[in-house]
Amino acid sequence: MIIRWICEKCSKKWIYPIEKCIYCKGPITKQKGTQMKVAGITKVTIPSPTHPIIPYNILLLQDELGNRLPKKTMKDYKIGDVYTEKKSESDDAVVIIKVKYDIFEAIKDALGLLKDIKFNSEEKILIKPSVVAAAYPYQAVNVNPDMLDALIAVLFEYGIKKENVIVAEQALIGSSVVDAASKAGITEVCKKRGVTFADISKGPFEKVECDGYEFSIYKEALHRKIINVPIMKTNFQLGISGALENLTRLVDEKTQRGMYYMGLDNILPKLVKALPDVFTIADATNGMQGQGPLASGEPAFLNLILAGRNAAALDSIFCEISMIKIPSYVKAAGNGTDTKKIEVVGNEVDALKNPIKTANPEETPHSDIKVIDCKSCPACLNLMHNLTSKMIGLRGNKLYVLIGSQFDERVLEGKERIVAIGDCAIKKMEEIKIGTIAKIPENLDTVEQIVLMKKLLTTEGIPKITSVDKVKSKMTKLLSRVTR
Amino acid sequence: MYVKGVGMTKFGAQTDTSQKLVYEATMEALGDSNTKIDEIDAIVSSIVDSESNGERQRGFSSIISSIFKRKVPIVTCSAVCGGGGAALWTANKLDYNNILVVGVERLLTNNSAVTTNEILMAAERIYEQTEGMIFPAQNALVAQQYMLKYGATADDFALVAYKNHQNAFLNPKARFYRKEVTLKQIKKSPMVASPLRLFDCSLSVNGAAAAIITKDETDIKIMGSSLFVDRLSTFESEDMTSWQASVLAAGESYKQAGVSPNNIDVVEVHDAFTPVEIISYEDLGFCKRGEGKNLIRKGITNLNGKLPVNPSGGLKAKGHPISATGIAQIYELVKQMRREAGDRQVSNANIALAQNIGGAGSTVSVHILGKV
Repeated sequence: MIIRWICEKCSKKWIYPIEKCIYCKGPITKQKGTQMKVAGITKVTIPSPTHPIIPYNILLLQDELGNRLPKKTMKDYKIGDVYTEKKSESDDAVVIIKVKYDIFEAIKDALGLLKDIKFNSEEKILIKPSVVAAAYPYQAVNVNPDMLDALIAVLFEYGIKKENVIVAEQALIGSSVVDAASKAGITEVCKKRGVTFADISKGPFEKVECDGYEFSIYKEALHRKIINVPIMKTNFQLGISGALENLTRLVDEKTQRGMYYMGLDNILPKLVKALPDVFTIADATNGMQGQGPLASGEPAFLNLILAGRNAAALDSIFCEISMIKIPSYVKAAGNGTDTKKIEVVGNEVDALKNPIKTANPEETPHSDIKVIDCKSCPACLNLMHNLTSKMIGLRGNKLYVLIGSQFDERVLEGKERIVAIGDCAIKKMEEIKIGTIAKIPENLDTVEQIVLMKKLLTTEGIPKITSVDKVKSKMTKLLSRVTR
Repeated sequence: MYVKGVGMTKFGAQTDTSQKLVYEATMEALGDSNTKIDEIDAIVSSIVDSESNGERQRGFSSIISSIFKRKVPIVTCSAVCGGGGAALWTANKLDYNNILVVGVERLLTNNSAVTTNEILMAAERIYEQTEGMIFPAQNALVAQQYMLKYGATADDFALVAYKNHQNAFLNPKARFYRKEVTLKQIKKSPMVASPLRLFDCSLSVNGAAAAIITKDETDIKIMGSSLFVDRLSTFESEDMTSWQASVLAAGESYKQAGVSPNNIDVVEVHDAFTPVEIISYEDLGFCKRGEGKNLIRKGITNLNGKLPVNPSGGLKAKGHPISATGIAQIYELVKQMRREAGDRQVSNANIALAQNIGGAGSTVSVHILGKV
């Protein structure tokens, strides 16, 4: 659909959204045609980094109001053909919509193309956005608040009552979701729309057993329609974090740790089965590329929204269009589904293919610190990222930080100056009787963790926290409380 | 204002830095005008700030200051492919006696896919870049609309390419100097974005061009100077086959110069793609709407025709180093009016017109020069 913003008084028209007419200050309405025809077509035969698959066609679409829009497609058309977006037929279909300056319309388009999407005005909704750490919206660590705002507006348009909507999330273990949501602009959106923001980590949870594994699932999630709203990101540990990864924070901390310990490949398919029907509307308006999923990644400016009922299918298609390898946990959750068999509507996969920067599983924010990640849980991952990112700018010795516990001696062969971060790695190192130059447990005072990490990086030998460090740490904390 | 002197590098694949190219073009312009660098009161430059060429260099005004050791007002204006013309238009508005106008670009420096991607940044981000609307595609859709509306054919476009290649054959500073290109080669060249073939597209090259303009009377007067800016995306225009910024700029320049299209003796137009030259014939008023194709079919715009267009070889065959192009057009027209164009000299070149376009009809400058 082609949208124009038109002045009700003087009929001036814009291709960009504006609030009121720049000339006569008249109110603006959206102008939308009902039918598009192909008014022109060109076949492009030269590749570029952002459009690597050739040949492709660009259609010049024109609606009955005379508004035009270019549209990339791999399919052949003729001038005069009527252009329609086909509605999905399969339950596993993935809809991909390009956002043309209007997220609200893009979400409506996405919902409109999915088979049998209906909302009952009395329905209770749980929106599960991805809000993992305190970061500004531009950093693309968390869901774009504009996306959440538009989604709530669309739900209201469908007649959903605001008292029946909650937005619920918990941050990565070790971070506060209240701080994260506030910095990410999520709290403000909830306030503006009059919906409740709930901290999942506070529970209550209900035990649900599925295929021999017991999950403690957030109770509200079991009794409401879940709208899963992940932000699509690269993830140095998992490959990507998207629709499936976002669901892992619907369980309590213990279950989360257990899922990562047992391996997401094994447990995530069971969680998906244990949850009631989940509908995903994924935020790739910015999305993240590079060393995600936290602030070391960079915005990818993808300008897309993906939607579907099958989270694994959606994640797989995201990998396809981003030209990155589909992670094993996504394959496992999707029963190894061939992406070619997934029905995709709205835009074609080949027409969207655009390589994004992938994450290197060994890199940390500090170039001298490499990570050995042995199926760590989000708590250790978060701790490791926070610590190493605070080392940026310091000159240092080469260090290996070890997180997770799924390893044996062979993983550590040839590596010196290993620092075990988190309780699982420390315990495992003790079990297999391999020495480290330091251990940083999760419950060590935060300032002391940083001091120790700095010493490890900047001094030779095996540094330790001294009593002077402890005093300094206490002083720093006190000072920060006073300034706050 | 008057043009005192001009200079330009050869347009090609040289590996010189932007600094070196600016230096070379400017030294020629200073020599041509018999001006000393310390007589320059202000400088207007144009460059696109490419990343693909490895220079990754902003703050070009200060670099120019370093090259010429001049602490005078220096402004850099960027209007993508229309930057050179925009720089000249800006300079013409300034109240200084001697102004150096210089444009430079290093575009032939990376693999073509990367360069294509860099140029794509000049297209609208949400509506065009995401849809793969590289510049040949934008212009292909315009060409197709023109063909449907006025019955022009791909053969007409080929004639434009052929004419400009014949002219460039005679221009020692052109990328295709002494390189013969046949009509058959043009028509058989690979399709880039249908209906546009490789030979319908201008050449990415490196180069710089400079002009010194002055308040003092010289042999070349700037009779008209105008610049208009329109939308970025062609699909936003009601009529994609006529570019309003071009029509407005031409009208304004004719008015300032007190001349009509009939008075123009020689023209340099912005033939970034061959159909653009034909549409420009119409937008500049050299013929009625839909009749541009007849000008090329009848040879009117050939070197020996009634209205020679792009005697330099144009962007098509001389080359198109983005921000240098608009000033290189002035170089050519000055040479023509001074009867210094050698083998490609046209007859009776007394009033000349240059049209420089940024984007697909987005920023257009039109300059009319007259021999005093």
